[in-house]
Amino acid sequence: MKVTVTQQQLAHGLSLVSKAIAPRSTLPVLANVLLATDEGRLRLSATNLEMAITCWIGAKIEEEGAITVPSRTFVDLVSALPQEDVTLDDIIKTNTLNVHCGKNHTDIKGIDAQEFPPIPVPDLQDGVSLNVSDFKEMIQQVTFAASSDEARPVLQGVLMEINDNKLSLVATDGFRISVRKGELSGATGKSHKLIIPARALNEAARIAGNSDEPLVMVVPPSRGQVIFHTTNAELVSQLIDGNFPDYKSIMPNSYKTMVTFSTPALLKACRQAEIIAREGSNVVVMNVMPENGGPARVQLSAQSEETGQSEIVVDAALSGPELQIAFNVKYLREALDVINTPNVILEANAKNTPAMLCPAGDNSFQHIVMPMHVN
Amino acid sequence: MSTIVHLDLDAFFCAVEERRNPLLRGKCFAVGGSPQHRGVVSSCSYAAREYGVHSAMPMSQAIRLCPDLITVPGSHSLYRQYSHHVMAVLRQFTTKVEQISIDEAFLDVSEVEIGAREIGQAIQTRVNREVHLPCSLGIAGNKLVAKIANDYGKGQFRGNGFPNALTVVTTGMEADFLRLLPVRSLWGVGPKTASRLDEMGISTIGDLAVSSPDTMFRSFGQTGLELVQHANGRDDRPVYPGSSQSKSISEEHTFPIDTTDEMKLREQIKRIVRNITRRMNDQRLRASVVRIKLRWADFETITRQRSCSATDDMNLIDQLAESLFDQAWALRQPVRLIGVGVAGLSQKSIQLNLWDVEVQKNQRIFDTMADISVRFGNDVILFGKDLQTRKQNEERSNENPP
Repeated sequence: MKVTVTQQQLAHGLSLVSKAIAPRSTLPVLANVLLATDEGRLRLSATNLEMAITCWIGAKIEEEGAITVPSRTFVDLVSALPQEDVTLDDIIKTNTLNVHCGKNHTDIKGIDAQEFPPIPVPDLQDGVSLNVSDFKEMIQQVTFAASSDEARPVLQGVLMEINDNKLSLVATDGFRISVRKGELSGATGKSHKLIIPARALNEAARIAGNSDEPLVMVVPPSRGQVIFHTTNAELVSQLIDGNFPDYKSIMPNSYKTMVTFSTPALLKACRQAEIIAREGSNVVVMNVMPENGGPARVQLSAQSEETGQSEIVVDAALSGPELQIAFNVKYLREALDVINTPNVILEANAKNTPAMLCPAGDNSFQHIVMPMHVN
Repeated sequence: MSTIVHLDLDAFFCAVEERRNPLLRGKCFAVGGSPQHRGVVSSCSYAAREYGVHSAMPMSQAIRLCPDLITVPGSHSLYRQYSHHVMAVLRQFTTKVEQISIDEAFLDVSEVEIGAREIGQAIQTRVNREVHLPCSLGIAGNKLVAKIANDYGKGQFRGNGFPNALTVVTTGMEADFLRLLPVRSLWGVGPKTASRLDEMGISTIGDLAVSSPDTMFRSFGQTGLELVQHANGRDDRPVYPGSSQSKSISEEHTFPIDTTDEMKLREQIKRIVRNITRRMNDQRLRASVVRIKLRWADFETITRQRSCSATDDMNLIDQLAESLFDQAWALRQPVRLIGVGVAGLSQKSIQLNLWDVEVQKNQRIFDTMADISVRFGNDVILFGKDLQTRKQNEERSNENPP
């Protein structure tokens, strides 16, 4: 193999695929990145067997071929090179890659490309086309609510349901549920119910970049995999096997108290309260009090035995009975971070039952959060 | 100027027992464990105190001092109920009530606009009438003097009833009031400090008040300086509303006869853990340290402890306590006393879970069990799995009557 690429494109490609590297695997080749010529472009691939990311960059190919090199060495080297053309030349006999850029010549010892696990090729005809900016927003609004607890793999995933032109994403860690509904640009005639690792979805959002070109999702029949494809990058992920919890039965049908806030004002108050609350158990007590003839006053208070205490008042509009309820302030802040409307609504029934945050005037997003029990 | 009340229920456990059984009134009696079971006096009536009986004294010794002493087993859940009631009454006077033990509290009544003596009388009357319990009050400009005033007032009492005392120290007169009292009346002066002070020629609080801070600092360090402050009646600690949080909760059991019966020992651990978790639940506390205490037949006493992440789970605490027991009891020596305690206590703020119905279900079971125990007694309800061990124990004690 002998190819020439630009340093910038190579560095960018490597930054995408290196997220799928398995640095401490028992299989040494998984710590490597695959470089291969592929129909006039250079293909970069990495996999940890649960997820594989591939990226194609423009290249001047003098000789076809493939090799794998240790990701860490190669990534560090490329990022230290000047912004010039980089020539990659493999010495097949010794499985060595010669990297040449400006005055730098480096030989990196690699592993035969044959040892790299095969990566499935999607049948794009069978795919569902997703609008990149919509889908990225949907991902951003749910994945943070997924669990990081390895003991419950199902909760590390996001439930994706597609029914013809309807699409929904749901994630929960047992304390909160993020539900985002969306529509596809056209009828697909397809129906899918998949649990995709939240991490893979975040990476899918990254590889999609800011392109206008749609992201194509393919679910190869009975392989337990999902593939996201753009012209320049592709991600394959194993699906999570199991039953996603019945979140709909948990979501309250109605609420007694409804409080409307300015989203930035509440977010700011939560950030302030979190400075004190994070030193304790992250608790912020929200006291919603009606104000005679005016808007409601909502007092957020946080307390930490060691650090001190904090009280912040936010204006709001209240309908229904007054309420005192405590939350993990991190949960509030993370939900508010992904609500893009000027106003946000908090709805609740009691201090020990699920509450809901949703953007005012937008039914597509609902975030259920369980309160905290305090004295 | 602040006005601080120190309130103490007079011979609290005994007063409750008298309410239950009026025949005890005026008699010499003590609440505590039975002498056959190596019990200890928890509280004794004023009539018994005349004979020199005092709390924490072995019951057998108390009976030697006062042969007619009637012993009454305690019923702590009932005492807790009374205590709750008293604290509720106190909170009607001010929200600034700091409960410091089951029968003691500080109140900051600075904002109540009547005289110190009047408010003291009002509080005392309400507690007497509504809870039917005697109580003594000390009132002064700070916690330190209020508490000493109360101890002093109660100490003046002689007789078979209850002191129901009220002692007011007028603002500005603190140092005068303290001057003639022995140094032992000050908080933080135990027998050792008192005897060292005595060697320095300091026997009254007045002596201490005029002693040189330099000398005191050289002899007692920072504590010495605080002692001089206190002796001058100065104390600026505020009243913290809410109950001051306990640092640890523990319970011990002394066996009537030293035992090497593993089943019996484990049964005791389980029983004590049940009581401890119940008390933790009452105060909504979680613990991060579990410890056990074992006293061998020769009175040598060992403690072993273990840290865990904060929990109030009875089963987990029991597991930890039993695993500590396993390590400590490797030699299978006869055990005189076994105790279990928890420390590293923190207030619970629990993130409620959307699905974990199991946890909520358990919590409801514990809460209900605690309620039933408070109303009907300690051992009326227990888990089926604990029934087996109890039954075996009963059978054995029937086979070998004591």
